[in-house]
Amino acid sequence: MAKYDVVVIGGGSTGTAVARDCAMRGLKILLLERDDIASATTGACAGMISSGLKYMDEPNIVDMCSDEVVNFKRIARHVMEKNPIITPLLEMSDISSGGNFAEEYSKRAETRDVPPVLFLTPEDSLKIEPTLNPDLIASIYFEEYFISPFALCMLQALDAKQHGADIKTYCEVTDILTKKGSITGVQYFNRITDKMESAKTRAIVNAAGPWAHKIAALAGAKLELRLNKGAHVILDRRVVNVGVIAKAIEGRMIYLFPHENTVLLGTTALDTWEDPDTLVASQDEIEYLLKSMEWVVPSIRDARIIRTMEGVRPLIPTWKIPEGDVTRGYEVIDHEPEGVSGLISFAGGKLVMCRHMAEAATDLVCKNFGIEAECRTHIEPLPGNSDDVDILALAKEYGVSQHTVERMRARRGTEIVMILELTRDHPEWKTTICTCEPVIEAELRYAIRATFPQTLNDLRRRIRLGTGPCQGTFCTFKAATILAEELELSGADFQLEIVDFLAERWKGKRQSIRGEQIAQEELAQGIYACVGNLDQALERLDYDLKPWEEVL
Amino acid sequence: MSEEEYRTVLATLKEEAIYPYTEDEMQVVKSVESCINCGLCIQHCPVVAAVGLDSFSGPRSIAVELSRSPPEYWTTADVVYLCTGCGTCREVCPKDVDIPEIVNLIRARIFKHRPDLVPKQLHAADAIIVEHGLAFVPWEDPEEKVESRNMRLERLGLRYVPDQVVKGADVLFYPGCQAEERAQEVKESAKIILDHFKAKFTLLEEMNCCGLPATLLGDDKTALELALRLKKKVKDLGVKMLVTTCAGCTSNLARIAERDAWGIPVYHMLEFLVEEIGIAKLSSAFKQSTEEEPLRVTLHDPCHLIKHTSRITMDYAGQILSLIPDVEVTHSFAHDSCCGGGGLVSYHAGDVARAVMKENLAAIEETGASRVVTPCPLCTAQLEDSLFRQGSSVEVDDMTVFIAQRLPQKG
Ligand SMILES: Cc1cc2nc3c(=O)[nH]c(=O)nc-3n(C[C@H](O)[C@H](O)[C@H](O)COP(=O)(O)OP(=O)(O)OC[C@H]3O[C@@H](n4cnc5c(N)ncnc54)[C@H](O)[C@@H]3O)c2cc1C
Ligand code: SF4
Ligand code: SF4
Repeated sequence: MAKYDVVVIGGGSTGTAVARDCAMRGLKILLLERDDIASATTGACAGMISSGLKYMDEPNIVDMCSDEVVNFKRIARHVMEKNPIITPLLEMSDISSGGNFAEEYSKRAETRDVPPVLFLTPEDSLKIEPTLNPDLIASIYFEEYFISPFALCMLQALDAKQHGADIKTYCEVTDILTKKGSITGVQYFNRITDKMESAKTRAIVNAAGPWAHKIAALAGAKLELRLNKGAHVILDRRVVNVGVIAKAIEGRMIYLFPHENTVLLGTTALDTWEDPDTLVASQDEIEYLLKSMEWVVPSIRDARIIRTMEGVRPLIPTWKIPEGDVTRGYEVIDHEPEGVSGLISFAGGKLVMCRHMAEAATDLVCKNFGIEAECRTHIEPLPGNSDDVDILALAKEYGVSQHTVERMRARRGTEIVMILELTRDHPEWKTTICTCEPVIEAELRYAIRATFPQTLNDLRRRIRLGTGPCQGTFCTFKAATILAEELELSGADFQLEIVDFLAERWKGKRQSIRGEQIAQEELAQGIYACVGNLDQALERLDYDLKPWEEVL
Repeated sequence: MSEEEYRTVLATLKEEAIYPYTEDEMQVVKSVESCINCGLCIQHCPVVAAVGLDSFSGPRSIAVELSRSPPEYWTTADVVYLCTGCGTCREVCPKDVDIPEIVNLIRARIFKHRPDLVPKQLHAADAIIVEHGLAFVPWEDPEEKVESRNMRLERLGLRYVPDQVVKGADVLFYPGCQAEERAQEVKESAKIILDHFKAKFTLLEEMNCCGLPATLLGDDKTALELALRLKKKVKDLGVKMLVTTCAGCTSNLARIAERDAWGIPVYHMLEFLVEEIGIAKLSSAFKQSTEEEPLRVTLHDPCHLIKHTSRITMDYAGQILSLIPDVEVTHSFAHDSCCGGGGLVSYHAGDVARAVMKENLAAIEETGASRVVTPCPLCTAQLEDSLFRQGSSVEVDDMTVFIAQRLPQKG
């Protein structure tokens, strides 16, 4: 049986960061993720590595976040972008909500290389963002950094791998083995091999996000979380030039953030006891967001919504206060005092803190092991961040369009050269597979070979396959063919792959479907049901409808 | 807020390559938003047909991929300058997606923020427009211009109708840069026609470009300035309508006249003839043919008329040709196809423009016509050049010239 120093449970931002840190400090690591990397909360977040926007009254957290932004700029600049953000004020009372924000933000602005908070006149605000309600009386301006959550997790996982870690996706931990109150191993179900497997380990870091309490329970440990769900509405393109923050109907702050080539409208915050796996955004959440944003961006309701996504925040359990008042910090919990030695869990936290959280947990592991090893995760760049990329030169050299190369760069940085090299032997792999993003065949093949996806949905997280306005209408059959060839899938599995991916897309589309997206859906139905005959194939395929596919 | 603070904001926008859309532009963006990726347009785009998707990813990619995020616009320079702006995609699109407009919007962004990525031939063209207010360097020696004009008149057997500038005339005849500086026979023919039908017309005291080439290469500022200059001249003359013989000018003038509230209609000469002069008058106007054989003519449809203005104009063209004795019109199966000359593509990517034209040439040859007629001096030049290169015996006439030649000569 394989033996590890640490088994990390969970492949979100926290788990992959822990695996990377532990591996870089020389520990033998196994990361177990029951689905895919960044498939849960992390995949549904906005990717804002905020300087502490929502928690200005927790100065040490603001300090930490601000430092983390600087660290990310050092290690992951290639998967980051900076967004100017405008908060339009429609009435004087909106100003008070600024609180000490301007002061706290501005104090730390210089280290992040951004200007202090500025106040813009209505005229200047409208010049920058003409979609704003012209009745604004002023606006607050500041700048924040954003990171691609998928890319971050993937790069952390790949880097951990390069430092010797074993990363296993589709492996669900079913039991934690202990002996005399000490962790000895884990048992997990490998969904790829369809077998129960196990591994020995001296310690476990429980980074299972909103499922962390369930993992703790497997070892007989106690962990409480305050689970809080949040929805995003995704628009088809950048309909705003800059980020916009607005006061929602009950006074919370909501936002409209440019994100890659889309815009995110978010988010809600509702305490939840639902199953995070099958959660979808509700009509109420969508309407809440539209209604709230409409005051400051009146045209928002006419924008094209392509889908929604929903995630569950694993907050620190503070009760009887509104969600917004719960600390945004995190806790690293050593379960030793409860009699479970070797188990460390997280509560709370954010994407922006994932490296910091990992450092704290790894420090604790090392201390428990009596090892002295320094953290280097904030110094060493993630894969692909070693150099600038000359888009124009590469596009010319390989005969691939500049935009294709730039989109690839935003996902892989300098590593795109390896993708482009594939086209030397296979010029036909320059064919565009996903037309919205775009993704060429070479990138798809490379991602399949180098980043261990099992499904089309996994490819979506790696290369944004099917994330554009057509939501997989045009890429699914093409990408499935390539995946089937690379992974040697059977004919039935090939068809299942298509149906599964379309079902996953439907999960996000169904709640918000309206306007153009109905026409889009008709086309998708036409292709896959009418032409592809997949609706007829379903019975043969042994396909179970997903919870969100049931007809009401 | 202070000036300096606002400059800080602008510096960030620049650094992050965020180019704010204006409110007008949001309308264009809105139209592109409705693309459902059906791919219909790709099957009809003449550039895709000519050079393949690997060289020009086509209208669909412009809608669903290239136009989604302003910070990435600079990366699209290798694609967007290859669109001829023919408008075919917009016409076949079930969702009315306005590709030519978004192409202009993107080009304007690149021109402003990454001029280094604009093909250098377009910068050269822009320099001429900025300096002369015309798409071409004007004749250095006015005498030579007159000489060239006279030679053309003589070769084509056309009489000379003197230039005139008349305040309060009914019709302002606007030749456009091509007919003003190069294809002078078109301008002369227009005057002949106007004179023949006794229209009270005037020319501009000083010609200036309508701004279309500036718009197409992304120099919005110059385009606007030219448009306003022209508006002032039109207003000063106090005319009731504007008539032009160029397809590009027709569509562009119609657009800016509406946008800038000129308050007068813009006609292509063909529209003027059918709508203002009338078929009845026209039918008795043409002289009898002296040819033994009927002349087999095929029509080329300028994109700027059929796709940017109105399909009716080319119906008029057919009607007018049918009135001319001994002219037999045969229809080309590529009657809807771009000549490759649009969008300034031929300025910097001659190979692409020629590849687009090839389809057309084959279709023209197929008709067995001995002459192509088209109501646009730019299409005429493009066709002439290509047919000549191919060693074809098919001749090309601008339709205004073709009509003028068939009106009886009078003193
Ligand atoms: C709507 C929304 C917006 C947000 N926006 C931001 C933002 O802009 N900036 C920011 O900093 N933070 C944001 N957050 C918070 C942030 O997303 C989370 O704090 C963070 O992603 C949590 O990551 P995680 O790795 O702890 O959890 P997860 O990403 O949920 O990862 C836990 C993983 O554990 C796996 N797992 C569970 N059980 C098992 C098992 N038995 N065996 C194996 N694996 C298992 C799951 O499959 C999952 O992949 C947002 C959150 C939400 C909901
Ligand atoms: S305008 Fe013409 S050339 Fe340009 S994309 Fe559309 S069809 Fe193609
Ligand atoms: S025809 Fe229109 S809807 Fe269809 S792909 Fe082209 S632009 Fe999009």
